Amino acid sequence: MKTLITFVLLLILSFLENPILANSSLKANFKTGDPGITSINSMTFGPEGILFIGDSKSAQIVAIDLSTHPKVDNSTVKINFLDILIADMLGTPIDQIQITDMVVNPENNNIYLSVHHSSGNALLFRVENNKLKKVSLDNISHSKTSLIDPVHKEAKDKRGRKLRKWAVADIKYTSGKVMLSGLSNKEFASTFRSVDFPFTDKQDYGSLEIYHAAHGQYETHAPIKAFIPTTIKGSSHIIAGYTCTPLVIFPMDNIKPGEHNKGRTIAELGSGNSPVDMVEIKNGGQRYLLIANSNRPLMKMEFTDLESYNGSLTSPVIKKGAAEGVDYVNLPYVNVQQLDKFGEAGFLIVQRESSGNLALKKGNSWWLEK
Amino acid sequence: MYAQKSPEFTFNKKFITIKNDTKTSGNLYIYRGEIPKEELSNVNPILGKLIQEKTVLRFIPLIPFGWNQKYTLVYRDTVEYFELDTPEEYKHLSVKSIYPSAKILPSNLLKWYIQFSHPISETYVYDHIRFINAVGDTLSNATLSLENALISDNGKLLTIWVEPGRQKRDLIPNTLLGPVFENEKTYKLVVLKKLKDANGISMQQDFIHSFRITIADRVKPDINSWKIQFPIVNSKSRLLISCYESLDYGSTLNSVAIINAKEEKIDGNWQYTDHESTLSFTPLNPWKKGDYKILFDTYIEDLAGNNLDRLFDSEITDVKNTNHLSKEHKLKFSIK
Repeated sequence: MKTLITFVLLLILSFLENPILANSSLKANFKTGDPGITSINSMTFGPEGILFIGDSKSAQIVAIDLSTHPKVDNSTVKINFLDILIADMLGTPIDQIQITDMVVNPENNNIYLSVHHSSGNALLFRVENNKLKKVSLDNISHSKTSLIDPVHKEAKDKRGRKLRKWAVADIKYTSGKVMLSGLSNKEFASTFRSVDFPFTDKQDYGSLEIYHAAHGQYETHAPIKAFIPTTIKGSSHIIAGYTCTPLVIFPMDNIKPGEHNKGRTIAELGSGNSPVDMVEIKNGGQRYLLIANSNRPLMKMEFTDLESYNGSLTSPVIKKGAAEGVDYVNLPYVNVQQLDKFGEAGFLIVQRESSGNLALKKGNSWWLEK
Repeated sequence: MYAQKSPEFTFNKKFITIKNDTKTSGNLYIYRGEIPKEELSNVNPILGKLIQEKTVLRFIPLIPFGWNQKYTLVYRDTVEYFELDTPEEYKHLSVKSIYPSAKILPSNLLKWYIQFSHPISETYVYDHIRFINAVGDTLSNATLSLENALISDNGKLLTIWVEPGRQKRDLIPNTLLGPVFENEKTYKLVVLKKLKDANGISMQQDFIHSFRITIADRVKPDINSWKIQFPIVNSKSRLLISCYESLDYGSTLNSVAIINAKEEKIDGNWQYTDHESTLSFTPLNPWKKGDYKILFDTYIEDLAGNNLDRLFDSEITDVKNTNHLSKEHKLKFSIK
């Protein structure tokens, strides 16, 4: 009897410790090995500790299973001189490394940084006790899908491989779909892809366009720099930030594969600027949109304002550098290079401080209170 | 030098070995830079793999050691410094060619391509590219500064987008700042010598390319106006297509094919001549009598981003006409 009780307890404990790893339908197609990641341009977490990586150089999306990484206490996370630390660990000058993204696993608060080295090496680091641990990517449980463009039937195998490079700008996961925005070196267009996950052969392509009153018609051909899937007035939407810097919303139901899809411009966030990252954070029953920018401080927009704004900006902003549309607040964080949600209601940033220190640190959640 | 007795070590870019045996084993750490012994505890060692072999301890860094980079070696109580000098015969990074190669270009020019001699460093690439006007001022907001540089698979071809928001009429950057280039003015594209190759070694001198701007190109390329110079039967003579304007290097490369009446692709090599305004095809095998078709990809563009189907910069009056499905573009010819 004792043996049976011990067995049952062990069984329960084993499920508690690793509840989804073995039988997850999302990971049914995963295999362990080298996914051949050659660049990590953008990352996002899906459910069950699955990290999605947009790999421009190998033209692929790779889903890797990081659920086995232990839960860590990053409540006091702060790493100063992050670029120097990475350069030291790689034995290379600082100008030869580039932090390409930072993400937080919402299930266990593990923080990950992707780094490119000038030699073409792409590396993934995990934060542990304010130190960086390299995550090995050459023997990992994964699944992947190609981002190679389909070619016209007649053109197939006739004109050879195109000189197409694709830069993944942002990647997000929602409800069984991985979505990517990016720009190729061929057409200037807001290439937007939606890929079913678990991966199948099906990929939807489309472009998301901006309403542009100067022409009185639909304006296309601008790349989305950052976006999030979200809910607006109870239905699924995409909020997309474009270069120079319209903020545009698209109802998900209206996005049709292979077509241009019209969006509604709800704000202009100032010219000479480009969104870097955006996240949605809930705090005290309120939802906030945080936007990190290349040439503006971290911006906070309240979803109640965003949802109540029924207009669409239809004429160019005349006043140089001015912002229009949904109200937002500039938070006292400038030069934020990376941004992600952290914990229930916090945010994590990589910021170049005025002293020159590149710091990985928590933002103050006080700014996200009513 | 802190060593009482220096251990015997050898190094190259890929690894460092230190003579020892399993009986005298100790930890081996390598640090970036010349670090005094008393400061070592404040610095993280370089990541790599440590392998104990029969008579040597081998350290393989995660990223190969760099040229002209100082390192500190710590083995038991010994601290040594080493550096790999750039080889004398090292071939420095240089620009081999630039597209468009023509010296007179439309003001709504959209893309540049720079072909380098070696793979380039992939970090902060666009920080080293400048456009300078006739009085020497650097143009601001002139290029799209992508975080992920558009570099070819072999690492040698870089694509640069001239800020499309300024080149396309009536977009906000265009209305506020105007187009990047002005008609009748001269400019220089400069690749600063600070740009490094994949080994972290800079170019030896700035690369400077001068060009002059003429009126904007707002006409789609029309293949029906292009002139074909037919090849001669039973020869490997070239087929030439005169396009009467320079085409975009990146979108035209590998975007043209010739097929015979059996729909078989004719193998051969395509080249650009006359500043990318003439396409030249040399077959691998002699031409045979028969009917041929030249297939053109819709996305072949001129220098202003106008492709075979649409203008880059126009009012779109019918959304249905702008979807991704496009008609075929082909020219027919016969060899008798």
